[in-house]
Order: sequence, then structure tokens, then C-alpha cells
Amino acid sequence: MDPVTLLYPIFIPIIIGVVVFLLPQRWRPLHGGLAFLFTGFTSFTALRIFLSPQLVHQLFTLRLGRIDLSFELSSPHLGAFVVLFVNLSSLLLILYSLGYWRGREYPNRYFSWLLITLGASCGAVLANNLIWLLVFWEVVTLMFYLLVTLGGNKLSSLAAKKSFAILGFSDCALLLGIVLIWGLTGTLRLNEISVSLGNWTSHFIFILFLIGAITKAGAMPLHSWIPTAAEGAPAPVVAFLPAALDKLLGVYLLARLSLDLFIMDRPMGMLLMVIGGLTILFAGMMALVQKDLKRLFAFSTVSQVGYMVLGIGTGVPIGIMGGLFHMLNNAIYKSALFLGAASVEKRTGTTQLAQLGGLASAMPYTFFASLVCALSLSGVPPFNGFVSKWMIYQGTIVSRQPIFLVIAMFGSALSLAAFIKALFSVFWGHRPRELAEVKEVGFAMVIPQVVLALGCIFFGIFAQFPLRHFIGPVIGYSFDQVPRGITFYNALWSPTLATILIFIALLLGLIIYLLGHLKLRRTGVMFVGGETMDPQEVRVLGTGFYQTISGLKGFQGVYGDAEKGVFDLYYLTGRYGNNIVQVLRKLHDGVLSTYLSWCIIGLGFLLFLLMR
Amino acid sequence: MEFSLKPLLYFLVFPGFAFTAIVGLLSSWVDRKVSAKVQWRVGPPWYQNFADIIKLLHKEIIVPQGSGFTGFLFAPLLGLAGATLVSTIIWVINLNPDSGFVGDLIVVLYLLAFPSLGVIIGGSASRNPLGGLGASREMKLILAYELPFIIAVFTAVLKVGSILLGDIIGYQQVSGIMLRHPSCIIAFLVALICAQAKLTLVPFDIPEAEQELIAGPFTEYSGAPLAIFKLTRAMMLFILPVFLITLFWGGMNFHGWQILASCLKYLAILVFIILVKNTNPRLRIDQAMKFMWGPMTILAIGGMILAVVGL
Repeated sequence: MDPVTLLYPIFIPIIIGVVVFLLPQRWRPLHGGLAFLFTGFTSFTALRIFLSPQLVHQLFTLRLGRIDLSFELSSPHLGAFVVLFVNLSSLLLILYSLGYWRGREYPNRYFSWLLITLGASCGAVLANNLIWLLVFWEVVTLMFYLLVTLGGNKLSSLAAKKSFAILGFSDCALLLGIVLIWGLTGTLRLNEISVSLGNWTSHFIFILFLIGAITKAGAMPLHSWIPTAAEGAPAPVVAFLPAALDKLLGVYLLARLSLDLFIMDRPMGMLLMVIGGLTILFAGMMALVQKDLKRLFAFSTVSQVGYMVLGIGTGVPIGIMGGLFHMLNNAIYKSALFLGAASVEKRTGTTQLAQLGGLASAMPYTFFASLVCALSLSGVPPFNGFVSKWMIYQGTIVSRQPIFLVIAMFGSALSLAAFIKALFSVFWGHRPRELAEVKEVGFAMVIPQVVLALGCIFFGIFAQFPLRHFIGPVIGYSFDQVPRGITFYNALWSPTLATILIFIALLLGLIIYLLGHLKLRRTGVMFVGGETMDPQEVRVLGTGFYQTISGLKGFQGVYGDAEKGVFDLYYLTGRYGNNIVQVLRKLHDGVLSTYLSWCIIGLGFLLFLLMR
Repeated sequence: MEFSLKPLLYFLVFPGFAFTAIVGLLSSWVDRKVSAKVQWRVGPPWYQNFADIIKLLHKEIIVPQGSGFTGFLFAPLLGLAGATLVSTIIWVINLNPDSGFVGDLIVVLYLLAFPSLGVIIGGSASRNPLGGLGASREMKLILAYELPFIIAVFTAVLKVGSILLGDIIGYQQVSGIMLRHPSCIIAFLVALICAQAKLTLVPFDIPEAEQELIAGPFTEYSGAPLAIFKLTRAMMLFILPVFLITLFWGGMNFHGWQILASCLKYLAILVFIILVKNTNPRLRIDQAMKFMWGPMTILAIGGMILAVVGL
């Protein structure tokens, strides 16, 4: 195949994005239509890139002194795979947005920025030069900032600012890392860099890159932009960037770091595992007590990043594969969940858990998709989340870290608990009177959710398919090497067989139903202690589910602190940074003679340095 | 993929559904009989539970007004499916320790949570406020016991150095049961108490506390779905002790006199569970959480540390 194809997924969306931006607002269906059409085209291109062997294309060569700024693209297997899924998730999201953005302001900006994000993401993944990677990486950050501002609620501007500050900080770290690695190796080409960790400098550089990667992915302690952005941004944007694309990008970079750029050593692997473990645990605990649907999802997203980081940190093939597979799975079910939240918000006007309830019968497709994805995220077999978590667990066993296994399994119970709360509050329980008229969202919005939910089922039941074709080749792994491992076909547990058995058991239950008198079914009045009660009055709110936990001694204080933002680095820098600034401010007393004396002292110091 | 009827047979008859259901119902009878003895009553005849199930199957199914019909009737099936599958896996590995697969222990741990998940979904879908409260308590109970339970289970894994159930049985056949290590005795005790909570038996019957919540998640259930819930609980009463025996007490063995030993091991655990059930008052949910995350987790970690230092 012609290597020029590599340019398509990058520049077509960017060019079309600029065109869409220039179209007048009132040409309404055109913005989304164009975006959908061309994303379809780039998805097709991405599929072709994925199917062909590695391509390399050099658009131009440019050298500034010793700095090589050549624009070179290449598609190693991991990159091509990430590009494919970036495109597919964009396609579904733009389809969803066709329905969601109907009747909202600025369709030109919205679709244009989505397209540019898509192009820049592909650029960041395909670039073979660290500088260009950084440039595209920055464009994604900038576009995210702009997209959040379209949220149109009072938190939007705060969310945009906060995300930009945190992501900007991480990009600075990345830039510093790139400069240092250039100083160390003298090259900026990704495929030429291979630094062995072992001394102080290389560890420092690795940590700088790590900050860039995990902030994008959203691991603790640099996660706090995700919950804020989830509240402020338009809901599909959250499904698009923090839930799907940023995970793909961040974990892609992390995987490149630990597989290609650096030769991992034990302490750094341990660092990754500790970050992963703590993220799983604390974000899971935070998700339990959230009162807003999108915020709850955001914390559980953060918790899922923990699994990916943990998997890659184990440093053994099965763990790394599990981490990458989890990245893919997370992109699938997390987008579907956020899209579900967006649908609920579109129909009810709120995502406050206390104001929702009983929507399962009103929005059956949204409910189905959310239920499947929630179970999948909690790692319930036979869905996809189970397979990837199962691989990560084995990674922790192989690398002899049982404590992380315990954390990861407990974290899985925590996510289940958080999702039971969310599902109960939104879909089960009683429907408040105000929501009596709620209907299912339109066709364009249902399709992406259902497709993603079916993806969860498919990747779970036929897990061998993505593992063989997408994940295995990334780390040069063929499945024959595994001793009794993932030989899905021979073992008793093959996801496929297990699913068949589960279905048989369900059938068995149905037969039991039929043996009994299923026909004798009638609806009866609810029994609440023999009283006749208005269900509206005795509604059990999901928000109260875990008050027992936040009320426990020891947890009370921690949760209180967390609400105040004590664990939020952004908040802390704001607060303590201010103290430092106040000290500096005292130096500015506005008296000319003070300034002059500072100048003279400085001049003297400079002279001393130069004349020494 | 080649497909044979063997797994199906395993799954539906022995040692899967039919076998587990029958033994489970008999165990429930033991439960009722021993409880009756403790309370100076006579207790029911051995076939009482079978009669109960059959009777329930013939009762009509009442679906509460306005509830999600599908979810309401689907939830019991989910629990049954999980219980059947986990029973099949545990038994097949017990009968032939080489038939396991890497990470089977993790699959088993997950599947053991299915019945509770079914209860939660059912209770929530019934839209009964008491059902909702029960579901939330059940979820909190899962969170509470899961932490010490996982630590206890992985103490055994640490001891053997393998995550295959088959290897754990094999290790015990070669070098004696796990329970001779102090670390594993602690882990076994912790796991036993967690099993009590997993079965939601007194003192952990918090989700369906009769005096507070009528029957919690089961309040609205009647007829066949209720029968399935009861059947699932009976099956779990059989599976969980077998799982603990597999991990810590040499596994179930069916060669010659070993059958008797296996049955006695199971009965010992069963009677222990029943006696605990009959001699303890119910805890509040916050007390249960404190108990599980406090003393039990510390005890379990202590056991794990002992295992690390080689005891």
C-alpha cells in the first residue's frame, strides 16, 4: 500500500475540521454530516493501514542545527491498532453527536473541534519524531480545552481552565523529558531511542515521560481534571476524550515508553504498579460516594486507568497484554456509559442521582447498554472487562506481587458497588413525577450505545479474536508460547464455552419457570409492611447507598478531606502556590529606589559571574 | 472448535446442576434439622425442602406494579447460572486436578459473587423500597467480606505458589493439607466467617433481616422465581464449604474410604456454620463492615505475613 495513506487520517480530519468551522451556523445538518462522512472515510483508511505491514512515510526533512525536525510517520502494529480504534470511536461519537447536538448552539465549532482532535490524535500516534508527537499531543489538549468550554453550564469555564492547567503541566514535563532524552541520545526519532534505565538521570527522564502519559490517561495523583471536566463539559465530549481517546493516547505512550523507549527495570516497574494500585483503590472509594452520575463515571474511569498502569507495570507479557486489552475494553464500555449519561441528561435535563430514577422502562436501550457496560466494567464474566482483568491478575501473580492482586480484585468489587448505585439511582427504583413523560432518545443516539455494548459482549465471548489479532502482535507474542495460559481452546474455561454454559443455565432456569405456572402471572400491589404508601413518598434514593461507609470512623475524615480537595494537586498548588506568590509580592513595594537597588545588585551579580 | 457433550453432561447432571441442587437441598435440611435440635424442636422430614420447592413452582408469579418485568424475572436466573457453573468448575477440578486452567481460582471467586449479584438486581428491579434497602445492604456486605476473603484465599495461593486450583489440591496431596500451617489456619478461619457472610446467614443476614425489612430483596418474590432463589441459596450452602475444603483441607476425594472422610469434612463445616447461625444475634450493617474491614482484615493480613515468612 502507498505510504502516503498515512497522511490521510491526520490531515483529512484537520482540513475538513477547518472547513466545517468556516461554515455558517445555520447550515445545520451539514456540519455533522460532513464530519460523519469523512470520519467514515478515515476509519476505512485506518483499517487499511492496520491490515498492511508497517508503513513509513517522510513528508519533509528539516534539520535545525543538530535538531532533526523531519516529519516522519510510521505505523508500528501498536500505533496502527490505536489509530484504528481512535477512528472507530470517533465515528460512533460523531454519529451520536448528530442527535445530541441538534438544537444546541455552535455546531460548527463542536464538529470542527472534534475533527481536529481526531486528526491530531492520529498524528500523535503515528509521528515518529518526538517533537511532532508533542505538537499533536498539544493540539489534542488545546482542542479539549475548547470543547469543554462548549459545555454551557457554570462549571464549564472552571473545568476547561483546570484541565488545561493540569494537562499543560504534564505536557511541560513531556517537553522537558524530550529535551533531556535528546541530550542523552542525540536523536528524536522514536524508533532509534532505547535507553536502559539504571541510573539517576534515566529514571528522572522516565518519570517526566510518565507524568505526560499518566496525566493524559488520568491516573492518580494527576487525575483531578477528569471529574471536574466530566461535570463541566458536554457529555459526549467526556465520552470522547477522557473516556476513550485520552486513554488510548496515554496508555499508548505508556506502552511505548515501557516497551520501546526504555528498557524497564524493577524500581520503575514497581513505581508503575504502586501508582496503578493506589489509583484503583482510591478512585474506586471516591466513586462510591459521588452524587452526580457523570462525576461517578469519571472516578470509575480513573480507577480503570489504575488497572492498565498496573498491567503494564507488571512487566510480564500477560500483564502487558492485559493492560493493553483493558485500554481497548475501557474505551468501549466507558464511552458507552458516558453516552448513556448524555442520553439521560438530554432527556431529563439532569445527572443528579437524587433527581433520577426508574428510567429502565422508559429508556430500554440506554438501560441495556449501560447495564452490559457496567457489568463488563466490574469484570463480571463473560464480558470483555473480565478477560482483561483476569489477564492483569495473572500478570501480578507471575511477577509475584500478590498484594496488588488483592487490591485489584477488591477494586473490582468497588466498581461493581459504584455501578450498582448508579444503575439503581437512574434506572431502577421509582420514577419521580417530573420524569413521567421521559422517552427513549433518538435513533442516531441509540445506535452507538448499543453497538458499543454489543462490542463488550463480543470481545468478552470471543476474547481470543482481539487478543490474537490486536494485542498479541503488539508485543510480538504468539499464543503457542504460553504454557497452559491463554490456550482458550483446550482449557475448560474458554470464554466461549463458559458463555454457552451460562446461557444453558439461563435456559434451565426458564424451563423451571415453565414447569411452574409462568402463565399464572399477575401484577400485584407492592408490599411495604402492609401499609398503602405512595411510592413517591417512600422512594429509596441510591445516593444513600453507601452512607454507612462514608460514616465509618476513619473514612469520615478522609472523605471530608477529599471533598475539600485535599488530594487534588491542582487545588493544592493553587492554595500553597498562592502563599509563595504572596512572599514575592512583598518585594514589589512600588518604591523606585528599591527596584533600582535590586537592579544594581543583579547587575553586580552578573558582572561577578562574567568577570570571574 | 470441537464440541462434545461431555461438558454439557458435567454441567447439567453431575457434578453440576442436578447433583448440587440435590445435595444443597439436603444440606438445607441438615440446617433446619440441627437448628431445630438447638431450639428443642423436632424439625422437618428430609424431603421438606424438595416439597417446598415443588410447591413454590406451582404457585402463581406476582410481579409488583410498575417494576421492570424482565429484570425482575431475570435476576434469579443469573444467580442460578453462576452457582451451577462455579459448582461444575470446582467439582471437575476436584475429581481431576489436571483439568484446571490458569487463573481458574479467579474465575471461581468471581462466579461465587453471581448469586449475590442476582439478589441485588432482583431487589432493585422489584422497586420495593425494602428491596432497595436490602440490595444496598447486600452490596455493602459484599464490599465488607470481599477484602478479608480475597486475602485469605491468596494466603493459600502464596503458600503453593500457583493460582491453579488443581495445583493447590495436588500440593496438599503430596505434602499434607494446608491446615497444618499456622498461616493457613488463620486464613481458613477468616474465610469460614466470610463464607457465613457470603451465605447471608445470621449474624450476617443483614440484607433480608426479617424484623426490619420483611424479606429485603425477596419481599416481592413469589412462585417460581422465589423457588430459584431458594434453590440457589441451597446450592451455595453446598458449594462454599466445598470450595474452602478444596483450598485448605485437602479437597474432596472419591477413592474408597476417602468418600467418607470427604463427607465428614463437609458436614463438619456445615454444622459449624449452622451452630454459628444459631448462637449469634444479627449485626447491624455498619458493625458488620467495621468487623470485616477491621479485625478480620487485620487477622487475614497477619495470616498472609505468616505465609510470607514461611509458616
